[in-house]
Amino acid sequence: MEPIDAGTLPELPAPFWFIQLFKVLGFTLHMVPMHLWYAGMLVALWLYGRGPDPGRRFATRLLAQMPVLMAFGINLGIVPLLFLQVAYCRAFYPATILMAWFWLAIVVLLIPAYYGVYYHSAALASDGAAMTRLRRASGWTAAVLFVVIGFLFANGLSLTTRDEAWHALWAAHNVGGAATGTALNLSDATLWPRWLLMFGLALVTTAAWCVLDAVWLSAGSSDDDRRFARDFALKLSLAGAVWSTVAGAWYVFLAWPAEVFREMFSFPAVLLTLVTAASPWFPSALLFAWRQGDLNRSRAAAIAGTHLGVLALNAISRQIVQNIELRSLFQPGVSYQPVATQWDSLVLFLATFLGGVVVIAWILAQLAKVPAKQ
Amino acid sequence: MEYPWWYVPHLTSPMLIAAIAVVHVLVSHYAVGGGLFLAVETRFAYQSNDTAYLDYLRRHARFFILLTVVWGAITGVGIWWTIGLASPTATEVLIRTFVFGWATEYVFFVLEILAAFAFYYYWGRLSEKVHVTIGWIYAAAAWISLVLITGITAFMLNPGGWPDHRSFWVGFLNPQFVPQTIARTGGALLLSSLYVYLHASLVIQDRRLYHLLVMRSARPALWGAVLITVGGIGWFVYLPESARAALESAAVLTVLVVIIFALTAVVFVLLYLGPYRNPGWMSPGFALALCLFGVAAFSTGEFVREAVRKPYVIYNVVLGNQIAPEHVQKLRRRGFLEANPWTKAVIAELPAGQGSPLLDGGRIDERALLERTEKDPDALRVVGQALFQYHCNDCHALERGYSAVGPMIRGRDLDMNFALVKHLEKAHFFMPPWAGTEDEALILARYLTEIAPPRPRGMDPIYLEKQ
Repeated sequence: MEPIDAGTLPELPAPFWFIQLFKVLGFTLHMVPMHLWYAGMLVALWLYGRGPDPGRRFATRLLAQMPVLMAFGINLGIVPLLFLQVAYCRAFYPATILMAWFWLAIVVLLIPAYYGVYYHSAALASDGAAMTRLRRASGWTAAVLFVVIGFLFANGLSLTTRDEAWHALWAAHNVGGAATGTALNLSDATLWPRWLLMFGLALVTTAAWCVLDAVWLSAGSSDDDRRFARDFALKLSLAGAVWSTVAGAWYVFLAWPAEVFREMFSFPAVLLTLVTAASPWFPSALLFAWRQGDLNRSRAAAIAGTHLGVLALNAISRQIVQNIELRSLFQPGVSYQPVATQWDSLVLFLATFLGGVVVIAWILAQLAKVPAKQ
Repeated sequence: MEYPWWYVPHLTSPMLIAAIAVVHVLVSHYAVGGGLFLAVETRFAYQSNDTAYLDYLRRHARFFILLTVVWGAITGVGIWWTIGLASPTATEVLIRTFVFGWATEYVFFVLEILAAFAFYYYWGRLSEKVHVTIGWIYAAAAWISLVLITGITAFMLNPGGWPDHRSFWVGFLNPQFVPQTIARTGGALLLSSLYVYLHASLVIQDRRLYHLLVMRSARPALWGAVLITVGGIGWFVYLPESARAALESAAVLTVLVVIIFALTAVVFVLLYLGPYRNPGWMSPGFALALCLFGVAAFSTGEFVREAVRKPYVIYNVVLGNQIAPEHVQKLRRRGFLEANPWTKAVIAELPAGQGSPLLDGGRIDERALLERTEKDPDALRVVGQALFQYHCNDCHALERGYSAVGPMIRGRDLDMNFALVKHLEKAHFFMPPWAGTEDEALILARYLTEIAPPRPRGMDPIYLEKQ
């Protein structure tokens, strides 16, 4: 049935490609800090408790960076969600309303997780002397909450693309036809591999960050630290690549709807599918090739840059899959929605964006001039 | 109205927005005013070479970051999350209209975060000039983000010419924009001074330093109170007529407005007599009292600001029950239950009973539905509840809870309830018009008559007739 409101809604405020571009860009940038609190927090807590000295030093730095990473991660996460709501509101709102309390729980859980991170990291400045049992517990609690939050996100976004499941969930969770907001998309075959796939990628991101941190961010790192970073990053990156491959294979071969599978394995999309599938191995390949040599700045930048490309590839592939999945809801397709470009506000945004980049660059340049703390 | 409605027992889902919004604005205004405080006072402390004051400002910056970057940022996301759940159609209109306003705001958010962290974590490691400049970058970015979000929230109260000329700027530069920006700027100055007083009263031991801080923050606080008053008057002047009428006719709103004025006056007098005239009076208790009065005035103001929009979420654009006003006539012809896939599913799911099928060629047969609900109490309960949830639950709980309908109509008979439902907007001008067929109005009226408690004993109308 055609919804009665369809003609009332404002059109898309920008061409569909533009909305997708910023959604993908925002998601790519969001993934970096998000991965570091999703899997990196667990890795850092483990290294801090049981790792060798250089590992403990890396863990200390990562845990101390965590409050800042969280702040940027949350704000960068708003960008893809904003553009998701612009173009895909008809899918996103029903899905999140059906699981409203769980969706809202993301925000509620984020607050103790965030304060837990602050409380834990406050003890790190004293070289661990102030690391009480309570502070340690707050760090682990935050790490577990991040994993739970990831699961809830995977639930909401997988349900967004599964309109055929809405009715059954609504039928089981409503009062007088109104959703109670207590449904979860647990029966969805894509849910678990999606969640696990993100964790595997997050391990690779943590590995890339370890390299970047040792060479670029940590002024006082010793040869030991850099050797540890090189070796540990290789192991972690390989573990992440294996994890991503297994979860990815589960996702693609056992969970993808037939239409998605058919399209993503036909030319030319198949090229993207294959490159995306192989991409988590790219940072490992570089780390393996440079496993004997010195971990210098250019090598670290190449590994980090390659991994950023991996994340971008992943975001692009996910976007294409999402568009195929939502085709049935947005007949004939998501990109066919009417557009009335708001040029004036779009130009304002782009100008502010460029101006913002200049100011950010100036601040970073000022910070770069500051002698590093030893 | 293609979305499912979210049922929040007793409270109603839009009240969740109000609850989260209040806890957010109490911090978000401090995020603006506190940034200005830190920039101005750090510059002053550097110029006067006051190391004790610089030490305090550093401690305050940490408190500021812990409160604004965590609590402020996450509750801000929380509001956005909740409006999508509780008012999806209205949110859709807002997002499609102002997406680049929001995107621009997020550029300033990123700037704020970077500047705030650089300001605090690099304290003492940057040159004084660069440190203060970064403080000012934060303050400017925070104020601009206040301006941007105010344009969007003010639009909801009075979109001005937007329904006729649907452009970003017509909507953004709405009649409420300037008054609300002035009031919120004032709120940021006032609230941040009150937080500074409270924080300083608890952590500063040095009387000279405390005295200095109290005096220096008094003037911005008083200016803030003046700006709130000026903006508040502008807000009232540019209210739509019906919103002004709602203020006059809803007793609870009238009382709340009186409370706001009284609390604002108390804060102003306390500020003048205390920090401005007699800084020595400022004890932790005095600072706490000031802060509580200010927070109470602010929270009440936010509640009133939201409440006067009734029955709209976006004035003249989307009603509280997610219906566009121009669709009301269409819904009256076509049927309320028919128009939304989720309410239609309620009818489709009804167990087959005696009489004609309820769906005829895929459409709801209203006559059959009326007959069925007349004979089958279970069907009446299901259909009546669906009509209530989707048409009324945005403002009313059913039998118990926020503005519950049951107690309001106790003792009324079916005819009275039927007349009320059919002419909702005539019975109370701040109610939405009935947006269904007459048969649906009758079903809802029957259902409400069923669930309403009986007339309280001791006021028996038969007794009155005997007189």
